[in-house]
Amino acid sequence: MLVKVASALNLGLNTMEMEVEVNVASRGLPAFDIVGLPTKAVAESKERVRTAIINSNIQFPERRIMVNLAPGDVPKEGSFYDLPIAVGILATVMGFKLPEKSVFFGELSLDGTLRHVKGALLLALFAREKGIKNIFLPKASANEAAVVKGVNVYPVESLSQLLFFLCGQITFELAVYKVNQSEQSVSAAEFDMSEVLGQEQAKRAMEIAAAGNHNLFMVGSPGSGKTMLARAFPGILPLLNEKESLDVTKIYSASGRIPPRGSLMTTRPFRAPHHTISPAGLIGGGSRIKPGEVSLAHRGVLFLDEFNEFPRTALEALRQPLEDGCISICRSKEKITFPSQFTLIASANPCPCGYLYHPKKTCICTRREIEKYKKRISGPVLDRIDLYVEVPVVDIKVLSCDERIKKSLELSEKIRQRVVKARDLQQRRFDKEGIYTNAEMRNKHIKKYCRLSKEVNQVLINAGANFQLSARAYFKMIKIARTVADLENVQDIEVSHIAEALQYRPQDKDGG
Amino acid sequence: MNVVQINNLKYPKLLKQINKPPQRFYYKGVWDSSLFDNCLAVVGSRQMTGYGRRVTDQLVSKVARAGITIVSGFMYGIDAQAHKAALLAGGRTIAVMPCGIDLIHPEYQEELYKQILANGGLIISEFEGDFLPARWTYPRRNRIVAGLSQATLVVEAGQRSGSLITAALTKKYGRKLFAVPGPITSAVSQGTLQLIREGAGIVTGANDILGSYGLYPQENGRDNIASLGLSRMEQIVLKKLAQEPCEIDELSRVIKVSAAELGTVLSLMHIRGIVSKEEGKYYVS
Repeated sequence: MLVKVASALNLGLNTMEMEVEVNVASRGLPAFDIVGLPTKAVAESKERVRTAIINSNIQFPERRIMVNLAPGDVPKEGSFYDLPIAVGILATVMGFKLPEKSVFFGELSLDGTLRHVKGALLLALFAREKGIKNIFLPKASANEAAVVKGVNVYPVESLSQLLFFLCGQITFELAVYKVNQSEQSVSAAEFDMSEVLGQEQAKRAMEIAAAGNHNLFMVGSPGSGKTMLARAFPGILPLLNEKESLDVTKIYSASGRIPPRGSLMTTRPFRAPHHTISPAGLIGGGSRIKPGEVSLAHRGVLFLDEFNEFPRTALEALRQPLEDGCISICRSKEKITFPSQFTLIASANPCPCGYLYHPKKTCICTRREIEKYKKRISGPVLDRIDLYVEVPVVDIKVLSCDERIKKSLELSEKIRQRVVKARDLQQRRFDKEGIYTNAEMRNKHIKKYCRLSKEVNQVLINAGANFQLSARAYFKMIKIARTVADLENVQDIEVSHIAEALQYRPQDKDGG
Repeated sequence: MNVVQINNLKYPKLLKQINKPPQRFYYKGVWDSSLFDNCLAVVGSRQMTGYGRRVTDQLVSKVARAGITIVSGFMYGIDAQAHKAALLAGGRTIAVMPCGIDLIHPEYQEELYKQILANGGLIISEFEGDFLPARWTYPRRNRIVAGLSQATLVVEAGQRSGSLITAALTKKYGRKLFAVPGPITSAVSQGTLQLIREGAGIVTGANDILGSYGLYPQENGRDNIASLGLSRMEQIVLKKLAQEPCEIDELSRVIKVSAAELGTVLSLMHIRGIVSKEEGKYYVS
């Protein structure tokens, strides 16, 4: 007898329909086979299913069982098909009818209970889109799927519980989205900006970076506080809105990074991969294509410490995400696009030994070594970074003794309020342009929204001559000035705005 | 090939006086005997600090403007800065190479090399062709640098700096030795401070050097600050920076102005050339 159970298959961030066909033959020797390009995890499913059914005190049919995962030409991976296969077998043996418009998704434990799976959110979104009414999911993953309204999410604890329900003996309490307390913390930041002593200019640069979504490059000796600043950065970013939050959760759901009973990501991701990362790890890939760090940092912060030490191939691969806000991974068989809109915070030492310009230590690098070190980052990548700031070494002992300085430190929350205001302003301005922030402005937008008065233009021209600004740097200065003006809620760019922007120009080797 | 033998009339007199002068040397550029009339060797560390650069610029520009030829070793750091400052002041300069006359070493300073030649200077080496520099060629080069000059100025030197070899040779040849005092905390001041302790002339301004050439001391020409029409804030900033060069963060804490506002002020002052920035610190220029 043949039973068809609906399930789904996740491919990147896309989900497609899948059918689990289970046939329990009345003739033939007892056997249990799965076809339909199962990978190892799927093929092992039959052992889990058999043991789970037996351990649920149900007799396993000693007959010839054939399972087909359709469509048959797409490779299936993962352990989510345990539940539909088990349900299919039980339905044929026990003869109950499956509810209509329902999908089953879940991994079985050997004792018959269900385990947390990845991709629950994607499944629920897919179900809503396709008009599927009921989703049967492991209880640990139900909160993730319950975010999506208009779909009945059944939190299944064990196989026997599901069986009683399907036979009409018990009723289910549908999962309702519960906000996880620990996720509701206002800020994801490890540090508050007020904990960072000194670094007034770097903090200001971060405020501008947050307000205009500009990428930021910090240069400073080891121990100057670059990492601490970067980790404080998410705290001054605006909170995720509903749509953004869903976007981020999708990526985390697809890569199995939502913890059991977890749900929507409400804080901006902060990713800080080590510089030994492979290009695939950074941009995504692998034999089963998974999102990389650039996508995990979507709508959040990608912090690349020791920027110059990253392999060149990895840095070059950053170009597309920095330019387009997404990354396409192409294979002969498939092409998967992941979103990757993030704020890049890069940091580097001023030289290979790290102590160039250090007040106390002497640099032991030759000029050639320093030149070589700086050249490791290609121009096209640097072109996509708007703000540059030097992070000098601070004598913490001296600063932490000074009460006046301590009192003047600003909380992240206060900075965030200014950032949010500036972002609102930008959103209104770019309403019809299809962009959100100043950093995304193209030349045509700059012409339209950044008109410079004669006086301002003159300052910029003088600066260009004095500081040897490239044409590219010239546009960066205007963009930054736009953000500075937005922070002040001023309509036109004034001299003071462009003058401040010039502080964050790319510094040449002579520092001037 | 441009070569000067020791018995040639062109051979600089001062160089001939030293112990074991080169039998011949090669040169590039247009020969002008007047180049060798008044020479000052300016040498120093490759690890030039911002202070070293500023001092070199300040002293060399005045000395070069007074018509004295600046002789140095073309190495990066103080040497190259001395050549550059001399050119910028419209003076002439001689670079003595530690390698064959046909090489440019270090090669990335090709632009400077061309500038020296284009402005009436000379490139000199006692080694022919494309002879590669070696450890022993640098001290040999140094004896020519010292030998060509009436006096040697050491700007910055570490404890084991090659500049100290030039200084020792200068003393040996009975020429005048000058050293610039530096902060006692700086590693590249240890050598120069040692020289001063041993009796080198201390240099606190270009006049100290010009005096020994019998040249009339020039006036210190710093612009009158009042005439710049500075705002109150700019005056405060300038006053603070005149005391001590500062990073923007430090300045912001001391005068209690936000980094944002200070950035605006400093950028504008920088564009106007009132202040300059080196190694992250702002200076009064």
